[in-house]
Amino acid sequence: MNKYDVIVIGGGHNGLVNAAYLAKAGRKVLVLERRHVLGGAAVTEEIYPGFQYSVASYVVSLLRPEIIRELDLPRHGLEILPLDGTFTPMPSGDHLWRVNDHAKTRREIARHSKLDAEAYDEYGKAMVEMGRFVKPILTMTPPDPTSLEPRGLMNLLFLGRRFQALSDQDKYNQVQLMTMSAVDFLDQWFETDVLKATMSASGIIGTFLGVRSPGTAYVLLHHYMGEIDGAFRSWGLSRGGTGAISLAIADAAREAGAEIRTETAVSKIIVKDGAASGVVLANGDYITADVVSSSVDPNLTFLKMVGTEHLPSGFVDDVKRYKYRGSSGKVNLALDALPNFTAMPGAGPHLRGAISISPGVEYMERAYDEAKYGRYSRRPYIDMVIPSLTDPSVAPPGKHVMSCFVQYAPYNLKEGGTWDDHREAFGDTVINTIAEYAPNIKDIILHRQVLTPLDIERTFGLTEGNIFQGELTLEQLFFLRPAPGWAQYRTPVKSLYMCGSATHPGGGIMGAPGRNAAQKIIKDGRR
Amino acid sequence: MSAIIVIGAGHNGMTTAFYLAKAGHKVTMLERRPVVGGCAATEEFALGFRAPLANAVGPLRRSVIRDMGLATRVQFIHPDPRLVALSPDGRALPFSADIGRTAEAIGAFSQNDARRYPEFCETLRRLGVFLSGLFDLTPPSIDAPAAGEMWEMLKVGKRFRALGRTDSFRLLRWGPMAAADLVSEWFETDLLQAAVASRGVFGTAMGPWSAGSGAVLLLNAAIDAAPGGSSVMVKGGPGALALAMAEAARGADVQIRTSAAVSRILVGDGKAAGVVLADGTEIAADAVVSNADPKRTFLGLVDPMDLDPGFLTKIRNYRSRGTVAKVHLALNTVPVFRGVADPADLHGRILVAPGIDYLERSFDAWKYGELPQEPFLDISIPTLSDPSLAPAGKHVMSVHVQFVPYTLAGDRSWSDARQALAATVLATLEKYSPGIGSAIETAQVLSPVDLEQNYSLTGGQIYHGEPSLDQVFTMRPILGWARYRSPIENLFLCGCGTHPGGGITAASGQNAAREIALALKSA
Repeated sequence: MNKYDVIVIGGGHNGLVNAAYLAKAGRKVLVLERRHVLGGAAVTEEIYPGFQYSVASYVVSLLRPEIIRELDLPRHGLEILPLDGTFTPMPSGDHLWRVNDHAKTRREIARHSKLDAEAYDEYGKAMVEMGRFVKPILTMTPPDPTSLEPRGLMNLLFLGRRFQALSDQDKYNQVQLMTMSAVDFLDQWFETDVLKATMSASGIIGTFLGVRSPGTAYVLLHHYMGEIDGAFRSWGLSRGGTGAISLAIADAAREAGAEIRTETAVSKIIVKDGAASGVVLANGDYITADVVSSSVDPNLTFLKMVGTEHLPSGFVDDVKRYKYRGSSGKVNLALDALPNFTAMPGAGPHLRGAISISPGVEYMERAYDEAKYGRYSRRPYIDMVIPSLTDPSVAPPGKHVMSCFVQYAPYNLKEGGTWDDHREAFGDTVINTIAEYAPNIKDIILHRQVLTPLDIERTFGLTEGNIFQGELTLEQLFFLRPAPGWAQYRTPVKSLYMCGSATHPGGGIMGAPGRNAAQKIIKDGRR
Repeated sequence: MSAIIVIGAGHNGMTTAFYLAKAGHKVTMLERRPVVGGCAATEEFALGFRAPLANAVGPLRRSVIRDMGLATRVQFIHPDPRLVALSPDGRALPFSADIGRTAEAIGAFSQNDARRYPEFCETLRRLGVFLSGLFDLTPPSIDAPAAGEMWEMLKVGKRFRALGRTDSFRLLRWGPMAAADLVSEWFETDLLQAAVASRGVFGTAMGPWSAGSGAVLLLNAAIDAAPGGSSVMVKGGPGALALAMAEAARGADVQIRTSAAVSRILVGDGKAAGVVLADGTEIAADAVVSNADPKRTFLGLVDPMDLDPGFLTKIRNYRSRGTVAKVHLALNTVPVFRGVADPADLHGRILVAPGIDYLERSFDAWKYGELPQEPFLDISIPTLSDPSLAPAGKHVMSVHVQFVPYTLAGDRSWSDARQALAATVLATLEKYSPGIGSAIETAQVLSPVDLEQNYSLTGGQIYHGEPSLDQVFTMRPILGWARYRSPIENLFLCGCGTHPGGGITAASGQNAAREIALALKSA
């Protein structure tokens, strides 16, 4: 039997990034993926013949440029196609359509409010500044604020200095972003309801919070840090679906010598004398390694694979306390033709970007209110993309795929029955909501795939269906992610590391956790 | 020695005035209303019935009580239990000062919760002690901390480390958390969860599921760590306390003028130079201290030409949305509550907030400008400890009603909505105290708009601005101006809209006096 330096659990994009960096550093790496396909939630699958669904995650913007560069991903087949604009149809028949062309967007916003058009420029500048401030934090191993470890203190000092160096206005903005609700924050800049609603939507994605919940302004920034070809805040699609990103990373990892096995589920992490020494597979096989790096969430890693008997009780409490609370679902559609929106009929370029059902702040907030009490939103927030318009390879000629991200769909339903009982009704709700804006939608659906939070949990191994492996709330970020005192990719089990979205800086197709963790493993190995 | 004008004779204004006079300055206080005390004033709302805006005081900072000799001037009453939380199933949970006794009462609901309660109290106490140290500080300057401040911050850092790993992480985690999450980590009984979480949302524009309500809970713990909160009463009502503070201030040679509304703060050469009264009288001064809230001070009393537009924008964006209304009931008898056998248990506060979802639904209504169907009530019957507030044998019930919006949806005006609010409150009370309706002689409703008009609280916000994470400590009222100073030289703030804010604690006033004395000395 082969012995490996590192076993990476989970072939999602973070696990693969982790493996690629470790392999490049000369480690003998084995990646184990439970499913038959690689990519975790960044996966492309042909659920319906001829149509390639980006089943879960569907847009990319946060993927760290240094990872693209260092792993030379374009050579391994990565191609990001820009996704231009956000189109928000309104019940009144009007719309808001923001595009990457700045002058055009200004004119469009001015149509709703002249003041907002002016503020939009200022806002954009301020957010770019904030993004610059936060960016180095993404690649940093979070310091432990309770320890006197010099490196951690240096990091804290570095953060303090950077903050001090900001202008007064930027400091003010930064503090507000870290603490306020998306709507309160945007209220200071804008008056147009539909604009605020659509912008605030990025603040709630993947959290169990509403647009008026404090702490959501931060996530606004999280979504502003995306960068494609050096341009901030652009979203993109990966040619071939998001799965192609994972495949490119996997290719890079393999080229560097990593071995990747699919359909190989890990059931246990072997812990001996307080240190991880390998894994037990679902089929009973043992594989040993010096280091185990887990890209699955803390619930699976610690409570299922390690076992509480190997962990300090305080840590177990923290892991149990860590909040997942999936709040979103996904509906993937195979379409015979393009949807026709009443607010802007025809197959124009407005369909090439994101289409957002977020007509007003109150609409968004009421959607959240229902979820708070355990119902899925009867009129949900929906973020739609038709990737086949940008990348025709994902659907047969003349046909289309449409990805609908739906919030809120609380993991814990209180309306009787399980998600299995409500799946189709939930799917109908989504279609009915879309039909209010694009009445032809019901006639053009060839196939519909509905993913509830329960399905997301089952299919992708994401506890409670949380797409970010744990909520991106302030008390679960930075040095508190995923557990106080264990934010540095290490765990209480020696030679067991975490490298997934549950670690700093969190979820999205970013890759930063995988890369940061790899650096930590490499550094620890030198000692 | 400087001639100083203090605008507003609320408890913080009087505290600042007292200390500045003690430091040798010539202090004049100007109060718009005919009575001193601001929100602490006790006023007659029906013939022979008197009630204050605030149900309980602070507790007031100890050093203020000592320095102003308040203990000899008024009688503080410490009811026990401090709080009784009512359940719709007819039971009640009393929060006694004695942790063991409270745990025993909790045991009737859940043995697990009873077991955890002492540890929760102890944790809250330790974190509260740490935070109360921060309350005494002037928030440090962010740009260029002086050596003294660095020293203070180092001391804070040392005390943070002394908390130990578990507690320091708790502090970091709990602050940004939702109070609902925080309490559910400790307790399983909805009634207990809500009673504790209600402290994290009282007076704020947050529901228990709002992130950051954990911080408010912690800030309250710094004032009084008991999970049920503080219920210090004053014989004669908080108004008696206000009079005692005025007496102490006068004793220190502060001149207090009531019915003297300030309409404008005079600025000359970028410096505060005095005030103009509503009747046109000008009063010159070397420094002006405003006990009014930040919005009223900078947007209402200062000429916008004297301030930088960026600063004005930030003050406009300072959130000050009222959520509390007040209902005063004149009762012809002492009310009886289901589950409370001994009337002596009603001397503290009485809480109608029986569940987390109950609180959240009430907050939901507020968000949309609607009246809550089932409001969160924080009640006291001050006449139980102090019969002088009502005619013989009769009682006053003082009810804080939350969440009540300042602006009602659909252009509905408050003159129409007052009756509806009273009806909602009475219907809610009936559930817990059947028959109370027939005991009511008169009811007075003070909407958030009334609170704004009567007490000059912008937006009806009882804390002079929401205590949200971005509006506390170095950010109160706004980042860069948390040190009681303002962009106008010799114009200072001393009210609840400055660090540490909170209820009737006099902490802002005392901190402000220290900073102002320093600033005037170095000038």
